[in-house]
Amino acid sequence: MKTFRDKMHTYGRIFIILGIFMMFLIPFTTWFVTGIGPNFKQMLIGIGALSVLFLPGGIIEVLTYGPILGTSGTYLAFITGNLINLKVPCVMNAKEIAGTQINTEENEIVSTIAIASSTTTTIIIMVLGVLLLIPLKPILNSQVLQPAFNWVISALFGALAYKYIKGHLTLAVVPLIFVIILSVLAPNFVQSNVVIVILLSAMVTIAFARYLFIRRQKQGDV
Amino acid sequence: MNIDQVKEAWWLYVIGGLVSAFIIGGALFFAYQAYKRAKTLKMDGKVLRKTVVASMSFSILPSIGIFIGVITMAGLLGIPLPWVRLSVLGALHYELLAVKIAAEGISVTTLTIQNFVTISFVMTIAIIWGALFALFFFKKYQKSVVDKVDTTDKKGFANLLFQSVFIGLVAAFFGDAFSKIFSYRTEIIRDGAYTGDFTNNPTFVPIIVFMSAFFIMAGFDYLIQKKNMKWLENIQLSLSMVLAMTIAVLLGLGGIY
Repeated sequence: MKTFRDKMHTYGRIFIILGIFMMFLIPFTTWFVTGIGPNFKQMLIGIGALSVLFLPGGIIEVLTYGPILGTSGTYLAFITGNLINLKVPCVMNAKEIAGTQINTEENEIVSTIAIASSTTTTIIIMVLGVLLLIPLKPILNSQVLQPAFNWVISALFGALAYKYIKGHLTLAVVPLIFVIILSVLAPNFVQSNVVIVILLSAMVTIAFARYLFIRRQKQGDV
Repeated sequence: MNIDQVKEAWWLYVIGGLVSAFIIGGALFFAYQAYKRAKTLKMDGKVLRKTVVASMSFSILPSIGIFIGVITMAGLLGIPLPWVRLSVLGALHYELLAVKIAAEGISVTTLTIQNFVTISFVMTIAIIWGALFALFFFKKYQKSVVDKVDTTDKKGFANLLFQSVFIGLVAAFFGDAFSKIFSYRTEIIRDGAYTGDFTNNPTFVPIIVFMSAFFIMAGFDYLIQKKNMKWLENIQLSLSMVLAMTIAVLLGLGGIY
């Protein structure tokens, strides 16, 4: 008999295939209706150039966030997108609130419900935004409110940082020093390569965590 | 049919509606499966409700930010294409980059239907890799790597490993905010596409916002833990974000951007 997780893999794969089909609706329908296809040379250059950046990034994201998002959460998040700026922090928050452990069935359930709730909220806001575009445009484009939306990610991760640093102050010191040094030496690199910086600082944190763990083991704390 | 009629065509809006319905349908389907499983496992219904409320309230502000991305690109590409692209596997910086690479030098006045079709193919295909990798390899990866990790021992290294990934993530975004004190190069967007020209305006505002959200969150945590204001628990993150973003608005009003 198929386990719950096996079923989720099956459903998730079907969802991804259908999602990819939906993604292609606009280009193919426009081509079909207008009779005008893409410029293949430009298209291949564009796909090649962007894939150099996003192919390794996509693979790293599955490997890094897959275990955190859980089975159905991963399939759902990888079709709905906005992973680093929304889905992963949302799951981190839900996991904290529910008090579940990664790679347990309870955590899979919580993360799936969190991603589904987050996805539904985003889609509803997008649909409302499109429907109310004319009255909303001046508000969303207003000079006064612009700084708020410019720095929404800083506000999001500042709030999350407290949750994650609170219980692990010692562990957080080294990656923070690392990113401070990197930011002073290469600010533009930090801003334009966030995925790489996440990977680097996670590796620094893991190495330091390993050091602390071994030290504690030697002291007989673990 | 000209480009202005194509990029705002009614059939593209129908596709936008279909895609939105598909995504919401998928999300509700998986949520229902998870809920059924939670009942079998006799999980506390309160935990699930808290998860829904916290996740929805948490997602409102970033989602408004994502919608602003639609408006940013609408000048060049109309509403439906950015709407669909940011609803399925999208991210604003990626979409803007796709426009730049697929239609170098194109502006709203020189855009053709062929450019529009080319851009929409590039935007769709080049971001697909993560989803394809998940489709073909995630199950294998989970069985051969993730399941070997024991997370039940709270003092074990596996838990520390995942905590480290989270801390690495927030540290990277701290770096992103902090680095803007020294340099903040932004590529100028005109008519919804990058122009290739940059401005450099270093700013303290993002790190102030980051630290404000951090300390406001700490304040709420104190109220929840010490003053027993449990009702704050589900909304503390969203409230911290709103207050930190308000600080950015106030700084802006004071001429600090």
